[in-house]
Amino acid sequence: MSFNHFNRRLHLYLAMFLLPWVLMYGLSSLPFSHHDFFDDLYRGDGVSTWTKRFERSYDRPVPQGADLRQIGAQILADVDLEGAFGAHQPNQQRLNIYLHDFWDHTRLSYFITEQRLVAEDRRFRWDWFFTGMHARGGFQQDSFLNDLWAVVVDGVCIGFFIWIASGIYMWWLLKPTRLWGALALGGGIASFIIFLLAL
Amino acid sequence: MFSKIVRRTHMYLALFLAPWILMYALSTMAMNHRHFFQEYYGDSKTPFHLESETTYNGIFPDNAKPNTIAQQILLDLNMDGTHYVRGGRNGKPITIWREAPLWMKRITYTPDNNNLRIERQESRMPTILEELHRRKGFEQDYLLADLWGVIVDLVIAAMVFWVLSGLWMWWELKITRQWGGWFMIAGALLFALFIATI
Repeated sequence: MSFNHFNRRLHLYLAMFLLPWVLMYGLSSLPFSHHDFFDDLYRGDGVSTWTKRFERSYDRPVPQGADLRQIGAQILADVDLEGAFGAHQPNQQRLNIYLHDFWDHTRLSYFITEQRLVAEDRRFRWDWFFTGMHARGGFQQDSFLNDLWAVVVDGVCIGFFIWIASGIYMWWLLKPTRLWGALALGGGIASFIIFLLAL
Repeated sequence: MFSKIVRRTHMYLALFLAPWILMYALSTMAMNHRHFFQEYYGDSKTPFHLESETTYNGIFPDNAKPNTIAQQILLDLNMDGTHYVRGGRNGKPITIWREAPLWMKRITYTPDNNNLRIERQESRMPTILEELHRRKGFEQDYLLADLWGVIVDLVIAAMVFWVLSGLWMWWELKITRQWGGWFMIAGALLFALFIATI
């Protein structure tokens, strides 16, 4: 197998395997780019964004500078919830824990000074389903499949590097397309630099 | 002829958008390994450093809104461009974040003493990449920002087109149908597993 042949097959088969991710990242970028349009689709349909699941008194100290993920994990264990989550402290009085999978999203708000814990479920929306998938990544969750998702995210990035390199190689071998290809590539690089400097 | 158009469009579109695809791939890696970079830099937020502190003697229209004040300050500083504003109501200090990709600045104006403080965000590659990744257009009246938004939409359309045209080209190449099919099924199954479980 020549290098040219290998290069073409790699370009193709990598794309076939990563096809669902490329399609997902493409389509899910739309709700990010046109947030207001998708908001308008759901606004006024009478369904509230959050539905309270429970509210209870709760007491757990949150020392300054504490590891929020650790405290978040303890709170989730105390209320018998588990899954991928993130923890965020918007101010000294409140700690938010977001528990999420691709379909469901639950928010626990711990009001520290009031010693009160509120759990709310977020309604399902297709734009949030896609943006949630788009934004998912990182190796901070203690679960094999979550880590594997993050590995695939890296794989998609490496895939894009390979498609660029192998694509440029294939273009260069196709002599009749060199001029227009150079104009396209040069135009893209020049436009990108102008954006970087002038935005 | 149709096949040739599909192939050429697939390629030229990719060549033009290569810098954006490279940026999106690099920034995604930076975000996917955010914890590594946080440990590397020793903090989770990119710091701002004081660049200058002066007295600003501009005069604003009566009852000027924060956005009007921000726009005037940016014009006077020769820094007009995409920005967002916090505070500035009822004579309180106003903070303007000027979102330039390579030199993000934070400008704070305190009306009580006309103090104008300009800070520049430390240049860190992961931060620059992440800002570019999250950037979109159509939110403010700046032509270049809207053009960036148009390119973002073009990248979205291109990704969908690359998938469809790639499938077309794969199907045309009979010799690759079997292995291509297996790779596509394997990818789809793994994706479905993720959707169902995490």
